[in-house]
Amino acid sequence: MSKRIPKHNFEPWVVNFLITSFCGATFWISTTFDRMPPILKRGIQPSDFPQLILILILILTVTMIWFDPIIVDERLDSKTLGSIVLLAVFGGLTFIDLFLSLGVTAALLAIFWTERRWHVVLGIGLMMPALIFLLFDQVFEIRFPRGVLTNLWYG
Amino acid sequence: MEAFLSGFISLGDPKLLLILLAATLGGVVIGALPGLNATNGAALLLPFTLSMEAIPAIASLVAIYCSATFAGAITAILINTPGTPASATTCLDGYPLAQRGEAGRALGLAVVSSTIGGVLSVICLMLAAPLLARMAYQFAPPEYFALTLFGLSMLASIGEGSPLKNLISGAFGVFLALVGVDMLTSVERFTFGSHDLYDGIGFVPVMIGIFGISELIVQASSLDKKRERVSMKAVQLPNRDDYRKVWKAILRSSGIGTFIGILPAEGATVASMIGYNEAKRWSKTPEQFGNGAIEGIAGSEAANNAATGGAMVPTLALGIPGSATAAVILAGLMVHGIRPGPSMFTEQANFAYTIFWSMMLVNLMFLLVGLTGAKIFARITLIPTQVLWPCVFMISIVGAYALDQSMFDVWIVLISGIIGFFMRRYGFSVVPLAIGLILGEMLEQRLGQSMVMLDEKWWLMFTRPLSLLFFCLTIAALFGPVLWTKYLVRLFK
Repeated sequence: MSKRIPKHNFEPWVVNFLITSFCGATFWISTTFDRMPPILKRGIQPSDFPQLILILILILTVTMIWFDPIIVDERLDSKTLGSIVLLAVFGGLTFIDLFLSLGVTAALLAIFWTERRWHVVLGIGLMMPALIFLLFDQVFEIRFPRGVLTNLWYG
Repeated sequence: MEAFLSGFISLGDPKLLLILLAATLGGVVIGALPGLNATNGAALLLPFTLSMEAIPAIASLVAIYCSATFAGAITAILINTPGTPASATTCLDGYPLAQRGEAGRALGLAVVSSTIGGVLSVICLMLAAPLLARMAYQFAPPEYFALTLFGLSMLASIGEGSPLKNLISGAFGVFLALVGVDMLTSVERFTFGSHDLYDGIGFVPVMIGIFGISELIVQASSLDKKRERVSMKAVQLPNRDDYRKVWKAILRSSGIGTFIGILPAEGATVASMIGYNEAKRWSKTPEQFGNGAIEGIAGSEAANNAATGGAMVPTLALGIPGSATAAVILAGLMVHGIRPGPSMFTEQANFAYTIFWSMMLVNLMFLLVGLTGAKIFARITLIPTQVLWPCVFMISIVGAYALDQSMFDVWIVLISGIIGFFMRRYGFSVVPLAIGLILGEMLEQRLGQSMVMLDEKWWLMFTRPLSLLFFCLTIAALFGPVLWTKYLVRLFK
């Protein structure tokens, strides 16, 4: 179960800070875009519209802080955090093999989410990736990136 | 008229019929599974349609839209968990009725109301979309710019999330659409030298991420939720007394749903809430609502399915999505090289009418599927979360990869999934992000074209009657809900 949030919670302020710094950083980047001579600019400069949108986001964020602040009711529970970590693990494993990482992540996710029947875990970790691979490879003719397992199929 | 008939004749193609049937069954399964809904279902299945031709591809997405919207009622009635957000109001009366041992009657009413709502809205779609498209022929870039702005401003008042946060989310979506090489000037923007970003951020991987992967993370926190299913013998068709009691609610909600659906960005969820409230307001026995009133089920279900047809009107006629799922369908149209808008009804009229007729057929198909197979689909609700979601994860990732056979898209899915989860955690709806991402490029192009056309005198946009009307509607959409609430508060004081 998720825990109640303590009285002094800084999470909303971190979000506000992240949004404003994102706007600031991208606005600065947009000032480095090439400027077009009047004959080629087709109405607006390439940096104009992104800057307009970033200013809008900034104004809306400030208004939000004032009138409609972010409220966080609950702390992130271990299952949610663990699932995000597993997604990161998946990202790391893709460099070895996409389907190996899919099978491992899916099986770990099922176990982490309290699945204890080994035949179900095997089905999720082995059967499902194999079926999905065959479906996309044979029916949709998709070529997957080479890796430890896919090399066995592609030769 | 010729296109109208040829669209109907196209339905005679057995391959298309088979695809529609499969998509309808798939949609019902998706809608019946808690956590999966028409939007993330369509986003997940979009990559599967890539190898198809445009008509079966879009028809199957539309079939998923209609049937999943209906199927949300199955879980709402049997396990008191709305399969889709649009069927949340169906729980209020459907579950109490099921607890009284009348689950079959409740489901029968939901199926019939959904079908009537869906069919009426498709008739409206067939009439309104070409008319709207003909009107849109008069639009020049300033009108299109103002219209797109109006579509985006409607994000402020969509069902979930606060108006301000929805607008921030929508603006963030527009910003993401600007990443890549600028179409007008060929200047690189926010690409950081990466070739993968030259063509911008693909909206399909983003949608799979924000609708699919973010939902997976959300599901992690609801694992300990226990679902108790009410048993059901068979689905019963409503009897004469039932029809006498609900026909007004069905017709009223069909009208409400279609109208709400036509409004840009407003979808089935808002429609079902209004449909339910109106059914209660006009009922002779409002005190029964919440305790198994059949008008409540009819009002909610007719409205949410009517919104599907309504939502397709601005999507096809103007290229402005009428709902979150319509945004995914719009993405599907773009992936297949079809640009929705007025020209669709002249240059690809056969395509447009085949889609309309497909929608009509799907609404009739899920009547049959619902009446005969609801008992089987009810069993699907028992698939454990820890089995379902790892499978959804694999399909999401492989589907995203299959789009362009690019690992970059897989990374986009993961990143947008995690961002989507945190957005939802902090009260930012992800629907505006998806719609902003789709409309962003169009908004900038139309602004640029308007500036060229008006000799860079942007204020001249306000001198054009139609664009002025859309600007006024934009202001009304932004400030209307706030002013209306204040007015009501003052009135009741």
